[in-house]
Amino acid sequence: MPRCAVPLAVVAVLATATLHAQERRLVDRLDPVTATAVQQLIDSARTAELPTEPLVQKALEGATLGAGGDRIRTAVGVLLGQLGRARDVLGPTATEAELTAGAGALRAGLTSETLQRLQVMRPGQPLVVPLSVLTDLVAEGMTADLAARSVFDLARNGRPDADFLALRRRVQTELRSTAPREDGPPGRSPGRPAANPPATRP
Amino acid sequence: MHADSPDAPDDTLRRVIAELRRPVHLDARIDDRVLRAIAREQALPPRRVRPARWAGGALGGALAAGLLLTLLGRDAAPTRPIELRLIAPASHVMVVGDFNDWDPAATPLRRGNEGGTWTVELRLPPGRYRYTFLVDGRRWVPDPEEPRAADDDFGAPMSVLTVS
Repeated sequence: MPRCAVPLAVVAVLATATLHAQERRLVDRLDPVTATAVQQLIDSARTAELPTEPLVQKALEGATLGAGGDRIRTAVGVLLGQLGRARDVLGPTATEAELTAGAGALRAGLTSETLQRLQVMRPGQPLVVPLSVLTDLVAEGMTADLAARSVFDLARNGRPDADFLALRRRVQTELRSTAPREDGPPGRSPGRPAANPPATRP
Repeated sequence: MHADSPDAPDDTLRRVIAELRRPVHLDARIDDRVLRAIAREQALPPRRVRPARWAGGALGGALAAGLLLTLLGRDAAPTRPIELRLIAPASHVMVVGDFNDWDPAATPLRRGNEGGTWTVELRLPPGRYRYTFLVDGRRWVPDPEEPRAADDDFGAPMSVLTVS
């Protein structure tokens, strides 16, 4: 037996197992038409060297929440576009977690320039937490400009990730303490009423 | 052979002997060439070298190692313990999110000593995760302790967890 046969066989088995694992998650949870369409989007992401796992998770989220196929395909396609934009802004060396956080920031309405400035302020350091906090501050109701300035202050001074998270928690506490209370679901703060009942798995 | 010439056998024999005794003239560098050939022979590996086979083996090994690292990478990445908690009157609570393939059966919360407190501990690598609780199998409830996701693509309230 040639010497290369064993490692090549291992590669083939592992590659097949990986491919099937991903396809199986979609096939098991989505109808065939939607699974095929989502797989095509995932293949496009792979061709563009974008992370594929966030797309799989988005599709599975839709399946669990009982969304229709069109809605799932749209959501996955939108996320694919956002990941591409995030990579354009953050560069080819950005990690999957950074691209995911960057895509969320862009979707929240933050600009490419804001992301680039943040990157310049933290050279060589992970951007996941600052980007995530930036997005959360905007989601909590802060203006994009004010949120960016708050995060830039920390980034400029080389503050650790914990300080960004502390900032977010302070803002969250402050905003929620002043927000009008509504009757909502259980927990220590109100939330919106539940949307869909859980989807039944096929 | 000439039978009528008594000297013929002797002459023939002498010529043969003379020919055999004639010195052989060899190339003066023959010894060097022989010694170099022997040295080359000793330096060769016992089997024929097949570059294509070795390159294929090396490439296969490298690919296998890379794929293994990729497959194991998610588990090998440093993780942090994260406790999720929900206070809710319920008979059972699950959590679904980017960390468990949104599987409603994968991650149950445990009921605490205080009646309505439900908790679960996860170990997650750094990143941003969307998730929500499923209360009694019929209500989606966001985590009140974490920020809400700005994008509720599918209509259910989502929370966002940032792991540093």
